[in-house]
Amino acid sequence: MNAEHLIGMLAELERIREATLDLVEHAAPQLLPAPPDHVEGHSEAVFDLLVGARRAVLGNPAAARRLHDMLVSEGMRYARTAEGALLRDRLAHSNAVENLRRVWETVSLNVLDGPAESNAAPTAWVELLADAVVGQGLDEAILSPLRPEGFA
Amino acid sequence: MTLTDPIAALADDCSFIGYLVGLAGVGRVVHTLAGDAEAGTPRAADDFVHLLLGLASLGAGIESLGQGTVTAAQTTRPTTTDAPRWLR
Repeated sequence: MNAEHLIGMLAELERIREATLDLVEHAAPQLLPAPPDHVEGHSEAVFDLLVGARRAVLGNPAAARRLHDMLVSEGMRYARTAEGALLRDRLAHSNAVENLRRVWETVSLNVLDGPAESNAAPTAWVELLADAVVGQGLDEAILSPLRPEGFA
Repeated sequence: MTLTDPIAALADDCSFIGYLVGLAGVGRVVHTLAGDAEAGTPRAADDFVHLLLGLASLGAGIESLGQGTVTAAQTTRPTTTDAPRWLR
């Protein structure tokens, strides 16, 4: 097997990844919401951007987690400088950051947080997709009385 | 095009400078977000804040590259051969 065959295999794996993600979104349509009817113009572009970001995270969890960890590490390094510490404190007090955090959590569904093996998909990603795909047919009205108070 | 049949002018379509400008722009957005600090309530800096700091740090690093280029452009006379390569 020569280098071109290996690269062709990588390209094929990427195509399979995209096709698999399409199947997952078909099985769990709540992961890919349809745009609201009144969305148009600039808002439509924002909606497409947010949905694209979600698809990028859900479709490439290990790579997204590595990028996330790299940026967090760089942020912690920067925060040890005087300029970085000042910016960190201002960000931590900012309402705009809180709004952005809400957007990010809605888009990413928090799948990049929590434990993760190195170079592997985060545990939260696995749990989210299992809930979305496997749990779709379960009737919440039947399950909710069985759930102890305080459990999500 | 394949690896054994490359297109010589492919680098002319490279978006590398665009990536850098985009990252620098994101870094400036982080500083803009920090400008809303007066009205906010105190909160511990978590991973999300450090992620934003990482983007700001990347943006600052890229902007420092650009400042070095500006300084060099002011102190040296650009030639017709290397100017397109660096300024694209």
